[in-house]
Amino acid sequence: MVNINLPENSKVKKGKYFKDKTGSNNIRKVNVYRWDPSDGENPRIDTYEVDMNNCPSKVLDILNKIKNEIDSTLAYRRSCAHGVCGSCAMNIDGKNGLACTTSHSQIDGEINIYPLPHLKVKKDLIGDLDGLYKQYQSIEPWLKSQSKTQSTEIYQSKKDRAKLDGAYECIMCACCSTSCPSYWWNGDKYLGPAVLLQAYRWIIDSRDEERKKRLKKVADELKLYRCHTILNCTSACPKGLNPAKAIAEIKKMVAASNL
Amino acid sequence: MENKSPLSPHIQIYKWHISSLVSISNRITGIINIIAITLVCLWASLLLLGESSYEIINLFLNSFIGKFMILGITWSFLFQVLSEIRHLIMDLGYGFELKTTRITGLLVIFGSIILTIVFYLIGKNFI
Repeated sequence: MVNINLPENSKVKKGKYFKDKTGSNNIRKVNVYRWDPSDGENPRIDTYEVDMNNCPSKVLDILNKIKNEIDSTLAYRRSCAHGVCGSCAMNIDGKNGLACTTSHSQIDGEINIYPLPHLKVKKDLIGDLDGLYKQYQSIEPWLKSQSKTQSTEIYQSKKDRAKLDGAYECIMCACCSTSCPSYWWNGDKYLGPAVLLQAYRWIIDSRDEERKKRLKKVADELKLYRCHTILNCTSACPKGLNPAKAIAEIKKMVAASNL
Repeated sequence: MENKSPLSPHIQIYKWHISSLVSISNRITGIINIIAITLVCLWASLLLLGESSYEIINLFLNSFIGKFMILGITWSFLFQVLSEIRHLIMDLGYGFELKTTRITGLLVIFGSIILTIVFYLIGKNFI
């Protein structure tokens, strides 16, 4: 259901202030969402003064600097640092994105960092994505082919392969799904942009033989039609993909095929 | 443990952009329009009760608040029409590029305001 306000235990309080100790003349204030599962307190916003003279260009570099030099208790996911793994997806300056590909010079004023929106927080910037992975599993994201034996190759023309461009590049970082208001209010039923983009990827794959079955499965009032083209997904995607368009294409295919 | 976990902030922190603004306004104007149409129907049915009851609403609509309301409803209708045209085009699979959505969104917002002024001028017999 639509619930604009946060529950009582999720209201964000003001947290600690970490003053700069390096004496740098180039300081930036960074506000980070913190929640510790062990102390039973509400989440809080800690403010760090970060020395920008000795900090590389990305937001992830700031977080690493905070963790390494100021406050080692800060928890966040990160791995490749090159926009490939999708681990460091978070809400930066009010917009979802990867911390490792977002430059802090693009942001004016103080930098606000939150976990991905409308998720159960595990600790600090780490949100619980189990629900999303279960939905991903539910669309059965693997090739289904009965007629070909497992030992023969299934050929695909260059033209058919080109259809997958803009869909296969998804790294499942969840930036899009957690930016979507429809997914916030109906995330238990609505599949969300990330999963629907993957559903689309398998529906249009020329080698897949269960196209109709897949379409039927996804053609559901709540699973698919909760997309109201708000387009937060497309504007959030760090890989420049267009989940909103993929959803529109699925809607078109559902309308055109007689299920 | 599970229930203790807080929900991360969502609408409180997420930045608005043109498309999300147009989308939410589309919903709000939709609700306004339903109420407005009901009122117009009531107004029309008051015709059956004779001139005097018709006059009451006429008087109200000619007051400052009444005129403000009419202009508001005109804008709301026009916004809905333009926004739905935008959605129809999107349903055909066009106009999903970020730049295009920004342009069409701005067209809806400013178009509805400009058309409201045009309608007002037509109503005043200026055009």
